[in-house]
Amino acid sequence: MTEPGFLDIISFGADGWGPALAAGAWMTILIAIAGFAIGGLIGTFGAWAKISGGPVVRGCAEAYTTVLRGIPDLLVIYLFYFGGSAVVTAIGQLYGAEGFVSFPGFIAGALAVGITSGAQQTEVYRGAFRAVHPGELEAATACGMGRFLKFRRITVPLTLRHALPGLGNVWQVVLKESALVSVTGVVELLRQAQIGAGSTSRPFDFFFIAAMIYLAISTVSGLILQVTERRFSRGVRRG
Amino acid sequence: MNMSAAVTAPVAIRVHDLHKSFGPVEVLKGVSLDAREGEVISILGSSGSGKSTLLRCINMLEVPNSGTIEVAGEAIRLKTSGDGRSRPADQKQVDRIRSELGMVFQSFNLWSHKTVLENVIEAPVHVLKRPRAEAIEEAEALLAKVGIADKRNHYPSHLSGGQQQRAAIARALAMRPKAMLFDEPTSALDPELVGEVLRVMRGLAEEGRTMLVVTHEMGFARDVSSRVVFVHKGTIEEEGPPHEVFTRSKSERFRQFIKS
Repeated sequence: MTEPGFLDIISFGADGWGPALAAGAWMTILIAIAGFAIGGLIGTFGAWAKISGGPVVRGCAEAYTTVLRGIPDLLVIYLFYFGGSAVVTAIGQLYGAEGFVSFPGFIAGALAVGITSGAQQTEVYRGAFRAVHPGELEAATACGMGRFLKFRRITVPLTLRHALPGLGNVWQVVLKESALVSVTGVVELLRQAQIGAGSTSRPFDFFFIAAMIYLAISTVSGLILQVTERRFSRGVRRG
Repeated sequence: MNMSAAVTAPVAIRVHDLHKSFGPVEVLKGVSLDAREGEVISILGSSGSGKSTLLRCINMLEVPNSGTIEVAGEAIRLKTSGDGRSRPADQKQVDRIRSELGMVFQSFNLWSHKTVLENVIEAPVHVLKRPRAEAIEEAEALLAKVGIADKRNHYPSHLSGGQQQRAAIARALAMRPKAMLFDEPTSALDPELVGEVLRVMRGLAEEGRTMLVVTHEMGFARDVSSRVVFVHKGTIEEEGPPHEVFTRSKSERFRQFIKS
């Protein structure tokens, strides 16, 4: 086997690692999007619980954010992966399967990333909601909007306007956290780079390229975020 | 305003024996008030008298501890929940009655992420489910009426306070309300902008709209309203047609109040 040069690594030709790296990058994006979305769902409930929940609900939300901030993210991924696998194995044995049944790494990873980013998003949404002028929400109530209509048409857009800068940070964190999911065997970008590094003698090249791809993803998503931010801050007076 | 018509017209809003406390502080101590269709009632009182709370109880922005509110003959049903607090028994009923009452706030409260036109059509389209094109047509007529048709595509933050409040009045009118509730509509305005808002309100009064106006504008109370209600320490201390109460009030406190 001939040693590939740098260009072979990024080429999409017969011996190139291009397709594999692209697939890894795509998997990274998928994990990040799934994790971010799960986190958004959790964050919305968490913020709601902290803002308008009773003492018990608020306590649960508080415990959730405190605990998640105190555990390393890598450990959360292990807990989900092995915890999930234990459950799946137990269920498998009920149906006569033998030995260890592994939990799908993608689902474990996305859940783990989602649950950690959910704790961060809880705080982001809560802070953003506090910045919304209460009178605007009251005006929605006063004209007879039901709870969900008011939430969808008024509360969400006004909150997002203040949340987006913070959400941008959360997204960057999620993107980087997705690399930790490689420990479950999911072949995302970092894992793919490791595979490449291990099967050639050019580890630096692979990791360097992976770094560039991460940078490209975060740059592009940063631009998308900027456009979104501008959209949601229509009507905000500047200067 | 034709006074004899006001006396025989059906009751638009009936408030009976309203009590409201915030924690240990009793803000309303048994207030009763009937507003007949076409009446313009100015609610006066010093700050902390309970006049804004009275208005906010009518559309349940504050839920009274006891007493009844009727809008067009329909009583808002309340229940007492487990923690002893009073709550609406039927949220749908409250939402529907709210949609029949146009509320104008001291701080305008236009939705800052929507243009003026979007503000005006929002509730007609999404709460009343009226066709969008029809709502836009009506909104444009209302904006012309309050004199800001040219601002329809502006965001509220680019309008003066007076323009914002007129847009908020148009937004309330777009619901074709049975009555309008004004909560100190000119108190947040620079003095030179008060006139343009009062002119719009005067126009509405002349159309025969039912209006409850919490205000500090003595001129409006005296010249435009059909009845003046003076709230003091959570009760109605004085009430009557403006030409009577402003000239020969029996209440020493009210005489003091209008002097200051």
